[in-house]
Amino acid sequence: MSSDTSKKRKPKVIRTDGAPQETKRSRAETDQDVKYYSEEAEVELRDPSKDYELYKQTCQELQRLMAEIQDLKSKGSKDSAGAIEERRIQSCMHFMTLKKLNRLAHIRLKKGRDQTHEAKQKVDAYHLQLQNLLYEVMHLQKEITKCLEFKSKHEEIELVSVDEFYKEAPPEISKPDITLNEPHQQTLARLDWELEQRKRLAQKYKECLANKEKILKEIEVKKEYLSSLQPRLNSIMQASLPVQEYLFMPFDQAHKQYETARHLPPPLYVLFVQANAYGQACDKKLAVAIEGSVEEAKALYKPPEDSQDDESDSDAEEEQTTKRRRPTLGVQLDDKRKEMLKRHPLSVTIDLKCKDDSVLHLIFFYLMNLNVMTVKTKVTTAAEMTTPISAGDLLSPGSLLNCLYPGDHGKRTPNPANQFQFDKVGILTLNDYVAELGHPYVWVQKLGGLHFPKDQPQHTVSADNSLSASHMEMTMKLLRTRLQSRLALHKQFASLEHGIVPVSSECQHLFPSKVVSRLVKWAALPYEDYLELSYTKDVVEAGLAEDTHLYYMALVERGTAKLQAAVVLNPGYSSMPPIVSLCLTWKGEKTNSNDDNIRAMESEVNVCYRELCGPRPGYQLLTNQLQRLCVVLDVYLETESHDTSVEGPKEFPQEKMCLRLVRGPSRMKPFKYNHPQGFFSHR
Amino acid sequence: MQRVGTPLPIGHRSRSPPCSLLGAVVLVRGAQGDDVREARAGGAAHVVLCEEEASRHLQTEMDAQRALELLHMTVFSQSVSPCGKYLAAGNNYGEIAIFSLSAALSSEAKEESKKPVVSFTAHDGPVYTMVSTDRQLLSASNGEVRAWNWSDIVKKGCKEAWSRRPPYRSSLEVPEINSLQLNPKDNSLLLAGGDCAVHVMDLESGTFTHKFQGHSDYVHCLALRDQFQECLSGSEDGTVRMWDLRTGAQVQVIEVHKYEECSRPQNGKWIRCLATDCDWMVCGGGPALTLWHLRSVTPTTVFPLPPCQQHVMFYQDLILSAGHSPTINHLQISGEIRAQIPCTPHSVHSLCINEHSPEHKVLTAAGSSHKVDVFTNFSYRAFSLCFA
Repeated sequence: MSSDTSKKRKPKVIRTDGAPQETKRSRAETDQDVKYYSEEAEVELRDPSKDYELYKQTCQELQRLMAEIQDLKSKGSKDSAGAIEERRIQSCMHFMTLKKLNRLAHIRLKKGRDQTHEAKQKVDAYHLQLQNLLYEVMHLQKEITKCLEFKSKHEEIELVSVDEFYKEAPPEISKPDITLNEPHQQTLARLDWELEQRKRLAQKYKECLANKEKILKEIEVKKEYLSSLQPRLNSIMQASLPVQEYLFMPFDQAHKQYETARHLPPPLYVLFVQANAYGQACDKKLAVAIEGSVEEAKALYKPPEDSQDDESDSDAEEEQTTKRRRPTLGVQLDDKRKEMLKRHPLSVTIDLKCKDDSVLHLIFFYLMNLNVMTVKTKVTTAAEMTTPISAGDLLSPGSLLNCLYPGDHGKRTPNPANQFQFDKVGILTLNDYVAELGHPYVWVQKLGGLHFPKDQPQHTVSADNSLSASHMEMTMKLLRTRLQSRLALHKQFASLEHGIVPVSSECQHLFPSKVVSRLVKWAALPYEDYLELSYTKDVVEAGLAEDTHLYYMALVERGTAKLQAAVVLNPGYSSMPPIVSLCLTWKGEKTNSNDDNIRAMESEVNVCYRELCGPRPGYQLLTNQLQRLCVVLDVYLETESHDTSVEGPKEFPQEKMCLRLVRGPSRMKPFKYNHPQGFFSHR
Repeated sequence: MQRVGTPLPIGHRSRSPPCSLLGAVVLVRGAQGDDVREARAGGAAHVVLCEEEASRHLQTEMDAQRALELLHMTVFSQSVSPCGKYLAAGNNYGEIAIFSLSAALSSEAKEESKKPVVSFTAHDGPVYTMVSTDRQLLSASNGEVRAWNWSDIVKKGCKEAWSRRPPYRSSLEVPEINSLQLNPKDNSLLLAGGDCAVHVMDLESGTFTHKFQGHSDYVHCLALRDQFQECLSGSEDGTVRMWDLRTGAQVQVIEVHKYEECSRPQNGKWIRCLATDCDWMVCGGGPALTLWHLRSVTPTTVFPLPPCQQHVMFYQDLILSAGHSPTINHLQISGEIRAQIPCTPHSVHSLCINEHSPEHKVLTAAGSSHKVDVFTNFSYRAFSLCFA
């Protein structure tokens, strides 16, 4: 009430135009009213728009007053001072009003701010609440989806189908009256049935286990029995061995061999089988065996075979790396070569026995990475033989089987693909390794069923039984012939070195009983030396002297006449005849180039060799040829016309009976011996 | 090569040794029994394979034998066909090879055209001498002369037309025929050889009309002296004898070895070759090659050739000779050696000039080699025809 009054009063004060007493009074009043008066409360009661009007009025009033003062001042009249004073007072009043208004405005502003702040806090609180609620809603929704997505364990259990369930389950479980309508109950019932069934199966399983245990125990007992049987059987086998041997039935051995044969690489296996078969069928003196470590062979096949391609790839990579690392290059290449030339740990040996109990041992190897087979040879003779010096090469492993088939010297690899492999590791030719590895003859490949085409370098080569079979008989025959002919030569050389030309009784008819010319020397001759002889030029030019052949020098003498005979021994002796080139030193040097009769003598020995072969298979050919050489030298010397201008007797009186001394345009001497009349005639 | 037979499965784990072994046995010796009958076909195929292998082996043996024969071959005789296109050459194995001169001389001649067109075995012994009539090729060997029709030979049909054997005394040895000489005037053939006599055969009737006896050793060579109806024979006994063809009488004997100018005792006295030009005769062998004036019977020129000469012939104003040296000598009447042309054989047995066909006019030389040298220009060897 008091505030009301003060408020009412105040405008009054303001409205009252600046009477000083009134101002004093109002001050007193305000002093009195301090206890009650509050401008804040006054603000509540006042209308801001009215205040604004008041403010505008006051400002206008002020402007007017100011303008009047200015007018008055500009007039500068004396009387105007009072008017100016009055007006100054009025304007002060107005300033007061303005001040009041300003204060009010401040208070109002503060109030407004407070109000706004209050309202904002309220809004914030509401907002927080809203957030919480939203979160709660979200959580609940999540919970709901979780619940919805929940899977019961029973869904994973495979149940029997509904139809089956109703068919098989007893009614106390299936309860069709309830379950048919209620899927939940139905599922429960089906689960019950499943449980029931599983219980039964578990029961059965247990029974089976027990059964198994029982059977295992039985097996154990039986095993024990069997293992106790093995030693007994072994002892029986051992005991039966003598019987087997006695009856020539080496079942046991053969069986063992077949077992081992399983681990042979295909070419050796083919060879083993075919050689065995041939031995059983046609050749009782052929023995086949397997040597080497089976364990290693087994180990070889445990890891899957690295294909050739991989290796070559890695090779290429390695090559690149080795380029950077110079010092180890040699060692690496060496290792690689060794790897490339690796033999299979198993080898097949074939022992060919000849009639005179000498044996040719052939050891066949398989070079795994090159896919070729090699052979090493050894000869054991029945009786101890003194080795003639000139026979050095006859039975040496290097030359024994040389050119078994024409041109097959076993120095180059028969697999054309190998050359590429060699290039990679820097092997020039296999020849350098032949002594260590054995010879890769073509016939060996054929026995192993490996067929390498000549013209196309890359070809899949697999071991072929039929190829091996087709070559087996021929090759075995050739091998035996080769051995026998070499042994025969070996024996002959021994006596040839002592200057004796052995002539068997079967061949006596080929020669006259009296032969004066004597063999004085028989020695091996290096190939290079043979090539350098002047009188062998024709033979060399005719391509009949190759480095695979064996060369010998024979010297036949009679009196002052010396006949040198350079002999080429073809490895295929005796089906391929030895070739003799002659040089007679007697009254000058006579060879086939300056004496037709020397040529005829050569031809008598070389071309007419068939009659000299002697009893089959003709191993006496060489000795017969040498003997004939002695005979024709006799004829040559004895029939040489005596130079009438020279005094003295003929050096070689004619002892041979000859029909005619010379004949034909070439004035040939009678070199052909006729048995049994014993005279010489022309051919 | 086709391989027959089913290859056995070769795998390290999937093989069964006993079974494959059985199969292999069958392959080797043929099937025995019903259970393995199906393998028989394979076995038979392998037998064929083995035979092939064996025959190939035999073939190489044959090749080696032939190589040796070639190495020791001597070509004794040559003769040119009447048409001048073919050359027949006979060797020491009794073979006659026919070479086509026209093919070998043509511009597109290959190695193959220097090989014989056809070759056949004509005699058991060496073909010592051959001549050609206008229809036939006559070849002679041990005791027999055989005729072959050129028309057949060219068609590669080598059937003997006829063969004759001079009337020999029976002896242990069949005498050889060293020389044949045609006498076109009365169509007769002169034969001489091992029986020391010269036989005359009438080619019309095939009968032997004359026999000139007198040599003490076998006859090497014959030559005809047309104008005088005489024939010359050179012999191992060192004489050259002249025979009257009409009467068969011996006209003259020249004992060459007794003339000091040409005698060479270290080589022997045998006369291996002779040629005549009516007034002149050239002969050689053991004695040096010498030109004789026949009317006066004097050696006029002795040619300085140390080796024994085996064939000599007049050619235009030259004398061609060859013998125990790998050369063909071109000699002048005056005794100078004009040229010595190298040739292949170490010892030349026959020279032959093809006069029948001007475009194929060549000199051929044969001897102790399987090659017959051909000289298109007489001063160098053009190429060689080879026996195969």
